[in-house]
Amino acid sequence: MDISRREFTKIGCKVIIGATAGTAIVESFIINSIGAENSNAQGGYDWENHFWGYVIDTTKCIGCGRCANACKLENKVPFDEEVYRTWIERYRVKKTSLETREEEVVIDSPNGGIDEFVDDIPAEEINKAFYVPKICNHCDNAPCVQVCPVGATFVTKDGVVLVDYEYCIGCRYCIQGCPYGARYFNIEKGTADKCTWCYHRITKGLLPACVQACPTGARKFGDLKDNNSEVKKIIDEERINLLKPDLGTKPKVFYIGLDREVK
Amino acid sequence: MLENLIWGYVYPNESEIQWSILIVLYPYITGLVAGAFIASSLYHVFGKKEIRPVARFALLTALSFLLVAMLPLLVHLGRPERGIEIMFTPHLTSAMSGFGYIFSFYLIIVVLEIWLSFREDIVKTALSSHGWKELLYSSLALFSFDISEKALHDDENFARKLAIIGIPSAAFLHGYVGFIFGGIKANPWWSTPLMPIIFLMSAIVSGIALLILIYIVAMKIRKHAIDHKCLQSLAHYLWIFLILDVTLELLEIISMKYASREDIDIINRLLSDKIAFTFWGVQLTLGIFIPFVLLLMVSLMKKRDTLKLIMISISSIFVVIGVFAMRWNVVIGGQEISKSLVGTLTYVPVFFSQEGVLPAIIIFILPFIILRVVTSILPPWKDMDEETPELTKVSKT
Amino acid sequence: MQPHLKRAFTLLALVIIAFILVRSLVVPESFGQYGWYRGASVNELRDLPVNYAGSTSCGEENCHQIIYSVWVKDRHKTVNCETCHGPAEKHVLNAREPLTPANDTRDYCGKCHSKGIARPELFPQIDQETHGQDLRCVYCHNPHKPWFV
Repeated sequence: MDISRREFTKIGCKVIIGATAGTAIVESFIINSIGAENSNAQGGYDWENHFWGYVIDTTKCIGCGRCANACKLENKVPFDEEVYRTWIERYRVKKTSLETREEEVVIDSPNGGIDEFVDDIPAEEINKAFYVPKICNHCDNAPCVQVCPVGATFVTKDGVVLVDYEYCIGCRYCIQGCPYGARYFNIEKGTADKCTWCYHRITKGLLPACVQACPTGARKFGDLKDNNSEVKKIIDEERINLLKPDLGTKPKVFYIGLDREVK
Repeated sequence: MLENLIWGYVYPNESEIQWSILIVLYPYITGLVAGAFIASSLYHVFGKKEIRPVARFALLTALSFLLVAMLPLLVHLGRPERGIEIMFTPHLTSAMSGFGYIFSFYLIIVVLEIWLSFREDIVKTALSSHGWKELLYSSLALFSFDISEKALHDDENFARKLAIIGIPSAAFLHGYVGFIFGGIKANPWWSTPLMPIIFLMSAIVSGIALLILIYIVAMKIRKHAIDHKCLQSLAHYLWIFLILDVTLELLEIISMKYASREDIDIINRLLSDKIAFTFWGVQLTLGIFIPFVLLLMVSLMKKRDTLKLIMISISSIFVVIGVFAMRWNVVIGGQEISKSLVGTLTYVPVFFSQEGVLPAIIIFILPFIILRVVTSILPPWKDMDEETPELTKVSKT
Repeated sequence: MQPHLKRAFTLLALVIIAFILVRSLVVPESFGQYGWYRGASVNELRDLPVNYAGSTSCGEENCHQIIYSVWVKDRHKTVNCETCHGPAEKHVLNAREPLTPANDTRDYCGKCHSKGIARPELFPQIDQETHGQDLRCVYCHNPHKPWFV
């Protein structure tokens, strides 16, 4: 076969470029999109063996705020900024007039509950009052994970929703997407941030800082794959509720004693 | 001071509003791009000859704004140096992940369109100039100087095919932004399937209005006669799209009120208090109803070109302001209601701040500067001369 | 196809290939390992430092065994040592690391025990104004064995 040098160079260049491009495409796109069923066993902890769940018993919460305080100390969340990984809300339902039948509810959360709740409404005007601890729900169908444009937030195999601080671009779409207000923008890191269920603790057999700090047992944490765990028993046997179940986020924080007024 | 900014109960993490005026500016700019492109397509695809004088000018306007579109987002990001991740690992479940590829695809189409429609002029300029000017235009022509009948005819065919792809691309470029908001079930003010199409309609409206204004200003600067037939035709299309726009915007409000779900109380508060002025006053009355009436009168009146010109100008200015208010009401309004549904916040724009009013103003002025530069490299003025040769260089219309 | 169009498309193709090459260099290796995210971050997040040790660490042999055995039998056994004494992991690893002294003011005990309308009825609460004059609570109540007055 007779080809001129020019023809040969032309074909040669096309082949080289095509081959490089082809390899690059295969490597970049196809390998990355295989969500491999790789296990991640590190230091004796295999995430295949656990699926975490959280229970909040609002009938026991006394609003002391030690949980929110411990969380900030454990996870280095700034105290001087209004950002919280967990917080406590107080609901005071006032007595209603017979005409309006509208419940007037006063809700507050002074510094997330870390500061004292002040009783500034006379007791005679209040029907019922209670505390509701709030935290990231680590939803199974998390809207925050869905809307992240680059894949900087994700759900782990053991059911924990985490943020990759080295990859997040700080667009704050996830903060807009969370119906529970659980996410915040971390100014120091320039990324989104949120409760991690103290992933660095639970993978070592410890409890999250907030659960450990709670003096009344209002917060409980455990392994849903363990039939003997307290949270599994509660979820299976007690009457529990979720926050905003109609949104379909499938939260994994289960509430006992969730009143209709809770937002 | 702080007490006035917050009413009711807002989640503790919501105390600061995350998406600022820059995020209001981004859909505004891409809306202008989409609108200018659609206006140009009225000639390139649908063959409306009255639009011909401004068709290429519209493309250049679209490009100028498109080049700036990425800026407000980059400035807003917490980690702008990682912004390229959107192109490297777009998370396809997220509407926002479309940004990189949709934007790039659309940019390529607009650049190709402009290149093909200006190629004859580029080659002619390249062949008749010397020195750095020859180099510039020769590189723009990609060192290929064939402007025979066949070549130009092929160019035109290809340009038309591109414009046909361009229309859904423009719709996508702006529609996906609407979907970014419309898909957020957490926010009752944003969550509606109508959002992409509302955004698109108001985009087209703002694009045409801006085109009208830039055209009038450009003609005044160049002391050139205004093609009233072209202008009134544009005004007519503006009027039609205004009707579509207002129908959709009102439909959304009416549906919400009719369905009257759990969120209706906070939506009512939003519309009657937080954004009452910017919504009823600026977006609807100033931005839609007044232009609607003025443009209706314009299409009914006969002759009286100067008066029509004034009415069209006023309508266009109002529309351009009104669409900005619409973006403001969506982005800022949606964040001024708390996800607790029983509280509101207030956005206080800061002037001197990384995400403040000053960067917004600078970013918005940039496209006009770029347009000035682009029109001196690729002048579209002869399109306008050809239609009104006898009125060229007349200072009074 | 016209030569100028061929050139335009070649230029475009080169840009796209350059993009793909850069991408394959820049995107982190572990991306996509378990899903659409950087696999290495899972281990990074597991390795963050722990600050709260937990009460059982306090009661270890050769440490605070005695006070622990008192505390663990009484009502405050649900109150973590570190809630009053501050995060102690560093101290557990190196006993010379000091802890901030426990806050034993009326206000601090009041964080849990002052009367609050939203607190459950049966939870022990006192009216700060009338209970215990103005003395610090620890004057009468041993925080590690609070029912022993």
